Amino acid sequence: MKRVLQVVASFAALLPALAWAEPQKGGVIDVATVGEPPTLDPMASTADLVGIITQHIYETLYTFDNKWGITPLLAADMPTISPDCLTYTIPLRTGIKFHDGSDMTSADVMASLKRWMKVATRGKQAADVISSLDALDERTVKITLKKPYAPLLSLLSLNNAAAIIIPSENADEDPLTKFIGTGPYMLKDRKPDQFIQLARFDGYRPRDGEPDGYGGARKQYLDEIRFVPVPDPNTRVEGAVAGQFAYADSLPVESYDKISGGKTKPLILKPFGWPVFVMNTKQGLNSDVRIRKAIQAALAPEDMLLAAFGSKDFYAVDGAMYPEGFAWHSDTGTEAYKPEGDTEKAAALLKDAGYDGKPLRILTSRQYEFHYKMAQVAKAYLEQAGFKVELDVVEWATLTKNRTDPALWDIYITHSPFLAEPSLNGFMSDNTPGWWSSDAKHKVLDAFNSETDPAKRAKLYEDVQKVIYDEAPVYKVGDFNALAAEAPNLKGVTPAPWPYFWNAYLEGK
Amino acid sequence: MLRSVLNRLLGMVVVMALVATIVFVIVRVTPGDPAAIMLGPDATAADIATLRTKLGLDGSIPQQFLHYLAGVMQGDFGQSIFLNEPVTTALLQRAEPTFFLTVFSLMIATVIALPVGILSAYRRGSLFDQAATTIAMFAASVPSFWLGLLFIQFFAVRLGWFDTSGYGGPGASFGERIAHLVLPALALGLVSSALITRFTRASMLDVLNDDYVRTARSKGMSEWRVVLKHALKNALIPILTVIGLTAALLISGAVVTETVFGLPGVGSLVVSAVLRRDYPVIQGALLVIAGLYVLVNFVIDMLYILIDPRVRY
Repeated sequence: MKRVLQVVASFAALLPALAWAEPQKGGVIDVATVGEPPTLDPMASTADLVGIITQHIYETLYTFDNKWGITPLLAADMPTISPDCLTYTIPLRTGIKFHDGSDMTSADVMASLKRWMKVATRGKQAADVISSLDALDERTVKITLKKPYAPLLSLLSLNNAAAIIIPSENADEDPLTKFIGTGPYMLKDRKPDQFIQLARFDGYRPRDGEPDGYGGARKQYLDEIRFVPVPDPNTRVEGAVAGQFAYADSLPVESYDKISGGKTKPLILKPFGWPVFVMNTKQGLNSDVRIRKAIQAALAPEDMLLAAFGSKDFYAVDGAMYPEGFAWHSDTGTEAYKPEGDTEKAAALLKDAGYDGKPLRILTSRQYEFHYKMAQVAKAYLEQAGFKVELDVVEWATLTKNRTDPALWDIYITHSPFLAEPSLNGFMSDNTPGWWSSDAKHKVLDAFNSETDPAKRAKLYEDVQKVIYDEAPVYKVGDFNALAAEAPNLKGVTPAPWPYFWNAYLEGK
Repeated sequence: MLRSVLNRLLGMVVVMALVATIVFVIVRVTPGDPAAIMLGPDATAADIATLRTKLGLDGSIPQQFLHYLAGVMQGDFGQSIFLNEPVTTALLQRAEPTFFLTVFSLMIATVIALPVGILSAYRRGSLFDQAATTIAMFAASVPSFWLGLLFIQFFAVRLGWFDTSGYGGPGASFGERIAHLVLPALALGLVSSALITRFTRASMLDVLNDDYVRTARSKGMSEWRVVLKHALKNALIPILTVIGLTAALLISGAVVTETVFGLPGVGSLVVSAVLRRDYPVIQGALLVIAGLYVLVNFVIDMLYILIDPRVRY
């Protein structure tokens, strides 16, 4: 008897430890974001901020796992794809409730996808290849394509210009005024420029199993998530250091030391994305591929990145369009990427192109200081190679407008996260600013887009990358990391380009 | 008297009409496009054009202006493109922090500036005067947002007495919201006090040497009665003007300070509206701000008449 008691006592002693190990429900976190989102309708915008916030409210049929593979979310399983790759039959999960208490059926999915094809930038892209949309029964929908189109599932998975599923009765709204989805958190209150308050949705049914990237089970430990717009980056840093924000997004890399002690700690997403010089292939100097090749040779990414990010902890000199770790990674064609620049080669190319001294206009802004710093270093290297360079430094809104006019610029600077599907990168479309369109591009891209087998696609992507380097429609400067700050007791947050807070919990809660 | 008031009112209408026109035109000719910003970086040109049509931005500028003017006449400033609510509602929501920030900053500024300015003038050339003048000079050259950053660093981050930014979360009580105004009000108040101190000092110096002050003294009046009653009353007009202008400046939104402290006030509304090219909000907010300016000036002019019966317009 005594022994039994001893055993019981020792188990009892273990209990607190067990309770500590298992995350507990409860708690409210404040998340400092870069500003107020232009809308809470993720179909209506491709802005990252819109995706970050609204992915907690709405869900898509598919999403990305932790290796950027496609995984089902509101779909019960991966689609059944016909052998000709033209029909996708998608089974839906059952027992899914919207925040208004109604059940999700294929009617809602149909109405939502139709709205997506009409309203969303990416939906319209899909609409070009979709010939019909059918509900086979309450729990199955079928998408029929005009031609094989592998990016379809990625388009259905993204969280911006997203194919979210909303109740069919709201699908006619544009702009959306009822923010009702199936996500783990629902909108409770919003005061523009003050906060967006999300509360746990008790009717949520997570998928079975464990969390896996954006997919798998989505746990709802936190009672509330509040997104607080803090446009001033220094104020975000100070707020994190003071312990006011459990998470502060998108911080300047200089603040790394400051957020390293005490009430907050740094969280690095490595790699986050790539800074890019987009060339205007339609009009002006850069409509000549020889000039573009001269620019490619002249630029010295090593110095540009160092100036922009200060420390190797925050960037990598890397010419591959996708860094190691992505299925798309390859070094094909990257010989043209010269870490230290090749001024002599650039000067020779420039001479062959018959360059007449017309200024090369680089359109950039100081919205992102690293764009501007890269522009300054680029200018020096380009001038060394014989270019005359004009920096056109404008504010961001002006840049987004001016880049749509091919008469105004030769290069503009931007950046992008590594999108899971390469063909969704802006310059893959013939119509986005830059207007890259060539036979070689169409040939490799068509082959890439019509193949659905992931392994074969990875191989085909090498051809795409080769053409990108041959024709230089864009110049990838390298890889860079993103810095955020999180409170030491905030656990379960996986670094991600669009941070999410389901699965997150407060330790000791 | 009545005629002069009417004249002033008419002038106000003209000023407002000018402001409305100039703001409208400047906003439209500035590059940048609300539709492009709203749709995000990957939007196509066709999408942007469609949204522009929907927002009524595709008409000619005179066309859009007439449409806008017709609305304003009926008290309708239009609908915010981004907030999806009427501009009037947006402005009213932002009025609270800006109003109280103005009141507190002004209180802090005058409570510091008047005594210091008066004493400086009274003890002209003394150590106090020299110190006060130097500090005021220094304070006037410090940008208030920078002072704000220092305050955040010290009072919010190091001492943890206040939140670093914002205006309280959901369900914050009035007291909690007001607590968020302490640091920005201090920053603005201190900087504004410098200007008012200098004006108070100069204005007091002018009158302290006047004959009537000497007369008052020779009558055997107590010193502080001479200074505060006789001299100050006459010195007050320029001081009042500066206080009024400071108030107008603060109401129009201590733009940068509000942004640094993340206060959802009129100033930060204007900044974000400009950055996202929310035309109706920019127009509405600037019109209201200009209106307040004109109104404050009007009130000050009327106060002159009350303080100094000789003033006639």
